[in-house]
Amino acid sequence: MGGGHTDKADVLQGTLVLLVLRTLEALGPLHGYGIARRIEQISREVLQLNQGTLYPALLRMEQEGWITSKWGASEKNRRARFYSITAAGRKRLAKETADWKRMSSTIERFLLFDPGNLAEERG
Amino acid sequence: MSWPRVIAARLRGLFPHRELEQALDDEIRFHLEMQIEDNLKAGMNPADARSAARCSFGAIEPMKEEYRERWGFALVEMIAQDLRYAMRTLRKSPGFTSTSIVVLALAIGSNTAMFSVLNAVLFRPLPYRSPDQLAMLWTEQPNQDVREGRSAYWNIEQWRHQSNSFADIAVFDGVSLTLTSAEGAEQISVARVSPNFFPLLGVQPFAGRSYSTDEAEKRQRLALISYRFWQNRFGGSRDAIGASLELDGLPSRVIGILPADFHFSGQAVDIWEPHTMFPDWEVRRQVRGTDSWFVVGRLRPNITFEQAQAEMSAIARRLDDQLPVSERNLGIKVVPLSLQVTGPRARLALWMLSGAVFCVLLIAATNVASLSLARSASREKEIAIRAALGASRFRIMRQLLAESLALAVTSGLLGLFVASAGIRFVLAFKPGNLTRLNDIGLDPRVLGLALALCLLTGILVGLAPAITMTRRNLRPSGQEGGRSIAGGVATRGIRRALVVSEFALAIVLLVSAGLLIRSLLSIESIDPGFRPERVLSMQISSPAFKTAAQLADFYNRVLEQIEALPGVVSAGIIGDFFVGGSPDQVATTEADGRIISERVRVRRDEVSGGFFKTVGTPLLTGRFFSAADGPNSPRVAIINDALARRLWPGRDPIGRRVNLGRDSDRLWFTVVGVVRDMRRQGLENEPIPQLFEPVAQSPSRHINLLVRTSAHDPSKMAAAIQAAVHRVEKHVPVYSVATLEARLAAFLTERRFQTSLLIGFAVVALLMAAIGIYGLIQYSIATRTHEIGIRMAIGAQAGEIFRMIIGEGLRLSLTGLVLGIAGALWLGRAGASLLFGISPADPLTFLTVSVLLTVVAMAACYFPARRAMKVHPAVALRQE
Repeated sequence: MGGGHTDKADVLQGTLVLLVLRTLEALGPLHGYGIARRIEQISREVLQLNQGTLYPALLRMEQEGWITSKWGASEKNRRARFYSITAAGRKRLAKETADWKRMSSTIERFLLFDPGNLAEERG
Repeated sequence: MSWPRVIAARLRGLFPHRELEQALDDEIRFHLEMQIEDNLKAGMNPADARSAARCSFGAIEPMKEEYRERWGFALVEMIAQDLRYAMRTLRKSPGFTSTSIVVLALAIGSNTAMFSVLNAVLFRPLPYRSPDQLAMLWTEQPNQDVREGRSAYWNIEQWRHQSNSFADIAVFDGVSLTLTSAEGAEQISVARVSPNFFPLLGVQPFAGRSYSTDEAEKRQRLALISYRFWQNRFGGSRDAIGASLELDGLPSRVIGILPADFHFSGQAVDIWEPHTMFPDWEVRRQVRGTDSWFVVGRLRPNITFEQAQAEMSAIARRLDDQLPVSERNLGIKVVPLSLQVTGPRARLALWMLSGAVFCVLLIAATNVASLSLARSASREKEIAIRAALGASRFRIMRQLLAESLALAVTSGLLGLFVASAGIRFVLAFKPGNLTRLNDIGLDPRVLGLALALCLLTGILVGLAPAITMTRRNLRPSGQEGGRSIAGGVATRGIRRALVVSEFALAIVLLVSAGLLIRSLLSIESIDPGFRPERVLSMQISSPAFKTAAQLADFYNRVLEQIEALPGVVSAGIIGDFFVGGSPDQVATTEADGRIISERVRVRRDEVSGGFFKTVGTPLLTGRFFSAADGPNSPRVAIINDALARRLWPGRDPIGRRVNLGRDSDRLWFTVVGVVRDMRRQGLENEPIPQLFEPVAQSPSRHINLLVRTSAHDPSKMAAAIQAAVHRVEKHVPVYSVATLEARLAAFLTERRFQTSLLIGFAVVALLMAAIGIYGLIQYSIATRTHEIGIRMAIGAQAGEIFRMIIGEGLRLSLTGLVLGIAGALWLGRAGASLLFGISPADPLTFLTVSVLLTVVAMAACYFPARRAMKVHPAVALRQE
């Protein structure tokens, strides 16, 4: 929420929001461990999540109204907290996705950019 | 996003909940267990599975810390950020900010002061154990229109024995006694109370003890002293207990000291002694019907006042048969003590003033809202940019509300200074019967209300701009370049409504103030039946040992001494000039040879021969008392017109005989004169029937000396008069020296206070309404310069423009006028009991106020309209 400064944590957090929302949208209500497992599986273990950091992020998303949670029974009939995405969350997901796409395509273009072309144009 | 839920969630977070903590622990444990199971399934041994799970989860404590912080500080952080930004914006427009803060600080401050009065007088529980079980019991005489009369001891004993609703019933009565000590004699206020009085209230002596039923029954001369008396007389020494006090020439032993905060009824009582101390106690305890006792009772638990009232009414009916014929048809009235302490009229007045001061706050908030709407026009661009940068509508609204809240809270802090000044002002004025004002102060409840007022004000001020601006600016807009006519129109609509409501509220306040002023004037124009100017009044208490003859002689010599003083026109004596309530008596008259006994409310006083001349009350028929009306001559009486009409309507009362009192002491007065009615209960009260007898025939120890002087300021004569009294006899207490005018005016203190407060509120309201309409018209012209230019370019005359502007102002003020008059008429009925001699729909008041407000509105529109007339079409069009 802070003003001008963006640091690494913010960027990571932003990505985490996208991943969680996407997971919940695709799979429906899940508990924290399920979300963590899913993100690791889908990303084929490339994104090594420090699983603990997931919970403050979930709390924040709940405070923002993007997800809701309620206590229920897990598959092995243990008490667990299940998170699900809200309408506001879906909107947020759409926005984050669009942002991400724009961002990644910009980066991609930037990476594909050949300084040689520029020299040609100049000459 | 549903923001009430977000805020609720964050608010919850402010208070570290054990459940939240527990839930987090459960969640972490579940996570780890799942991970361990998966690790085991993957073939790890239990120890490895455990440590791998921990490892992939990461450090638990820092994560918990972060979690807690997020749930705790999210709200604080959000508010702080909004406030920082708000402060920055407000600092950028110092004119708007300081005006708004001053206006709001005054409004919030006066509301806080008013509430602290309400709180002290009405809301705070009385300082007794379970005060909501306490009630006063009164003897009611429906056919005499006496609702709260004092009672006779025999009756009270019957109530006590027969009632099941009351756990206990106690009696008390007040007297004034002479306290004699080495320093001289002085008059003190003494309450005589039954031994169960203190236990009933739940009051323990601060030191020492109270007296027992047995001691009271044996009429032992014991006394409890007030904390104040203890400090003043004994310097707070413990030796006070066991000390002896000489009261009316007899010694009493001090056995206890009452707590510092103890008080009962409005008067400051110094000494409390057994109710059996009356010299005529054996007679008084037998009296049936009415007497002079006050009664207080404590309800049994779970009994309501209604149930108690029903039972007491039944008891009253049962007792009626056992009363003397002339004392029949008595009722009993049960009044909750809290209602008794502050009567219905004082309550109504307090609520009226609170309502008025709240109106002032509404008007102030409206004005500031209007100002900030005007300001918002210049901020359209800023908001549009913020919206374009991705701020949500909620975020912008929150921001605008944060600004108005910052404004309101700053005003509220300043308002506390205003409030404490206001409280000092109220205390300096000491409004008459608001007995509990000494408890006034800024306690947590008052501060809580001040905070609530700040929040309310902040929302009132910020809501209109927040709604209009966000509605307007969140439209994808690039065209909101230089000026926005559509936006201006929307804002103007709201501002119009605000100005109309300001006018309506101002009308209500002005009408109320007008009605109170008219009431005060009509009271002041009443002829009291005497001429109070240039008359000095003082009390004299003679020593207890004097016989009636000695007393009469003493008074004669005092009057002679005083009348011999230069500058004194005449002097007179009366038992007590001004009277509180008057106990009614049985009057027996002779008519056509028959004897008729009936209950009459009559005040009986002894007066000296020169009394009527001194106070300037004319004789209507008959004669005044003369020196011949001595102790051994036939008993004679002068009555006032009211009593003459009551006893002998349409006949000449001179020479007729009347007897006052009970069958036991038959004592006939022959009426020798009739005087004009005197309003001795203050100007507002109708004169009561009065009977005067010569002081020589029935001298009392405590008298009111009245001296008519030739000086403009009679109080300059006080020292000389006092010296004259002391030349006759040293050590006679002379006290309560005041001019008769001041004593008469004291009855109106409270009304004057209420009236001047309301006038103050009304003037503020009027000013603010004027500023409001001025600002609106000014703004309306500023946004319409272009339009005005076009109109003038196509041939409109300056006069037409002027009329157009004035017309706009007039329409608004007239709409407000109509609404306000409707409101004032409606409210007037509710407050009718505060008025005197005029109707709540008094046409003169309504007309005056309407004219006044219209004139003010016109004046406020005149200057902007003049400026609009001078708009040059070319300049106006170039502004584009």
